[in-house]
Amino acid sequence: MRPKDQERAIEEVVSRVVNAAATAGGQQLEAAIADTIYHERQRVQKERPSKERSRQLATWDRTRSRLLAGSDTTRRAILRELVEAFAREVLGNFDERVHALATRAIPVGLTALLRATSPFQLIRWRPGRSKMRLEQHLTVDGELDHVRAIASKGTLICAPTHSSNLDSILLGFGMHEQGFPPLLYGAGLNLFENPLMSFFMHNLGAYKVDRRKTAPIYKDVLKTYATVSLELGYDNLFFPGGTRARSGEVEKKLKLGLLGTGLQAYANNLRSGNPKPNLYVVPMVLSYELVLEAETLIDDYLREIGRSRYIITDDEFSSPRRILAFLRGLLDLNTRIHLTLMPPLDVFGNRVDREGRSVDGRGREIAIDRYLRSRDGELTVDRNRDQEYTRELGCRLVDAYHAGNTVLPTHLVAFAVFEELKRLNPGMDLYRLLRTGGAAESLTYPEAARKVDALRDRVVALSDAGKIRLGEAVRTKRGEELLVTALRAFGTYHSRPALERLGDRIFSRDRNLLFYYRNRLVGYRLEEEATS
Amino acid sequence: MSDRPGRVGVLGGGSWGTILAHLAAQCGSETVLWMRNAERVEELNTHRTNRRYLGETPLADGLRATTDMEEAVGPADLVIFAIPSKAFREQAGRAGEFVTGDQVLLSATKGLEPDSFNRMSEVLCQETCARKVGAISGPNLAKEIVAGQPSATVVASRFREVIQVGASMLHGANFRIYGNEDVRGVELAGALKNVVAIASGTAKGLGFGANVRALLVTRGLAEIQRLGVKLGADPLTYSGLAGIGDLMVTCGSELSRNFRVGLGLAAGQPLDRILDDLGETAEGVNTTKVALALAQREDVPLPIMESVSRLLFEGATPQEVMRDLMTRRARYEIDFDYSAEV
Repeated sequence: MRPKDQERAIEEVVSRVVNAAATAGGQQLEAAIADTIYHERQRVQKERPSKERSRQLATWDRTRSRLLAGSDTTRRAILRELVEAFAREVLGNFDERVHALATRAIPVGLTALLRATSPFQLIRWRPGRSKMRLEQHLTVDGELDHVRAIASKGTLICAPTHSSNLDSILLGFGMHEQGFPPLLYGAGLNLFENPLMSFFMHNLGAYKVDRRKTAPIYKDVLKTYATVSLELGYDNLFFPGGTRARSGEVEKKLKLGLLGTGLQAYANNLRSGNPKPNLYVVPMVLSYELVLEAETLIDDYLREIGRSRYIITDDEFSSPRRILAFLRGLLDLNTRIHLTLMPPLDVFGNRVDREGRSVDGRGREIAIDRYLRSRDGELTVDRNRDQEYTRELGCRLVDAYHAGNTVLPTHLVAFAVFEELKRLNPGMDLYRLLRTGGAAESLTYPEAARKVDALRDRVVALSDAGKIRLGEAVRTKRGEELLVTALRAFGTYHSRPALERLGDRIFSRDRNLLFYYRNRLVGYRLEEEATS
Repeated sequence: MSDRPGRVGVLGGGSWGTILAHLAAQCGSETVLWMRNAERVEELNTHRTNRRYLGETPLADGLRATTDMEEAVGPADLVIFAIPSKAFREQAGRAGEFVTGDQVLLSATKGLEPDSFNRMSEVLCQETCARKVGAISGPNLAKEIVAGQPSATVVASRFREVIQVGASMLHGANFRIYGNEDVRGVELAGALKNVVAIASGTAKGLGFGANVRALLVTRGLAEIQRLGVKLGADPLTYSGLAGIGDLMVTCGSELSRNFRVGLGLAAGQPLDRILDDLGETAEGVNTTKVALALAQREDVPLPIMESVSRLLFEGATPQEVMRDLMTRRARYEIDFDYSAEV
């Protein structure tokens, strides 16, 4: 955020959060503060003993004493201090000049990062490949012109699917390459741990989100900051899925809290008479042939603790060596990562035309401010109504994610083979199948190629109906070629390949991983066809 | 909303649309009923009757009819769609010309769209810009309501405002409104019970009594619930007015159109003649096809509805169908996936 806006944003966030809590009344105010102290103490107590930990605990104890002894005025002051501290911590040091530098530096920077963190790898880095040509491996496609046409008519909320911690970096880079202004986004603290990565994160517009902080007030600060920045015209990046999709599926359930800030900002814009009140939500889909953290994510999912353990700090992203191996695989394979922009929506989920106007299913223009007005034209506040509007937006985003998903050979082959293994082991539950592989744990090569080809036909039909997109390989190649391509990809990066050819048969060396890549095609009713 | 009287637009001048408009006008709302037939508009505005559907029953004074859709939709705070499911999408799309985001829309049509399997409230969302959408459904025989007999219905929407507006504009001395957030469950119950009503009419026509009716109502409800829950409905909805309530009425009264279709089938009449004689839409006939296609997709067994389909479209006789139903394998009664045989 620009320095002149930064102070203003902090002031806005503080006054809004404090006022909201204060209008709820004295007891509520006390409860909100006590709750924050409780959550923060809990968090600090989990840390390793240190001077800093003791200092923090002492600070919270003092705050608690002040709260117990204090008047209403004191309580308000305490709340203000807490909120301001949270707000200052969250705000990024965004600087447009540094951003320009950072985006130019990213392709080289990722290389530098890897070199800096691993001298051993530096020696082995091939001279001809000293410059990462990221742009050659990232395809940005879809509604680029459409989004460009409306970008100046309102504020953008980029809402991508979330598979990997590389998402935000690739997305920030991809959008910059396409000439879009920088995006503001909240990123988990773990992404800032590596100093160089932290540099890019900050300067691509990231602000810090500490997911260990569970106090409701902290979450209010985050949401209010997003709202204020949208009102100030900063394009934002939200991951509506919340965290990376553990199962590998395209998101079907979204977290609506952050998404709802778009509607809130629009309502505030109407009230304040903002000359450019509109916000445009751009559904984006990132499709990877291989996912950096696939092994950790699917294991987490299968352990059924995906939800409780939603901060993974020890995954592949924290190991520079794994990132290097992944990027090498990417270069050697000459695969592409697809970033697909889907048709933009308004905050109510309606389509937006190239003039930035909302239109209904028949293309008729909609006066969207009326969604927030009574029949007499008054702007009204209605939480349930607004939640439902955002839920509808979420449903339309999910549809767009499915339609914008690009089928790549690894997805197609994993799906065909996995479904066939399921069919060969009837009645076996998923976990047993994954653990043991079942009685029939391999397919003949020609049979696998035939299954892949049959599934490809189904996927092509879906694509013709606009329900999915096809990567170039899937569009142009047939069964056996696709099988070869996928086997090659599976063999390059993961420690144990999801699929491997031994003689005339195809085996899975890591069924969890096979399941993960297979899941990318869940939600299209392809299951029956694949096994028929 | 301000203190001015509410404005209601009702689309569809069949018996249910006319009754809803009549109830809204009785509640003090300025009510405009849209229908295509200019003569009946004239009749209603001059004589305050809709003889074709409701005989000589006098309709409320505040009710006005029109053939101009904009007049009914444009000024309305609440727009109710009571249009046969076959024409629903087209008319909803036309109404969409005049709908704005601050209006509340309710579907009063109990049907499902073929192929897409859309519920009518979904069609409203697709064909108009409205978001505040819901459905009205329950045990409501038009002729009893217009005779001033007490009755109750469900207004279902995820928007509390929709339920409030529906209640404030329709709730009267003899007509109670209950709210429900489970729109999906309420709409599916309303549509699917029409299929069971055909079976019930057939049983009645064959001379069977109360035992068979109770059998069809309870096992029919089990089918409706099974499919509904598979599609995400709340199971509790089926013990309410829109579930068992509506089914009891439709399966037991000769005032029900779908029940009368069943009577005709039992008498050996061909389907097209039955429908001609009825003079009104029997949604159950179309819904049977849609329900079975949906059940196939979702892998849900619906033996009673399958039998109705054989009766309607495959030339099976009522006797054959009844025999087949009664000789199916014995099963456990409370079994949500219908897999446990005795």
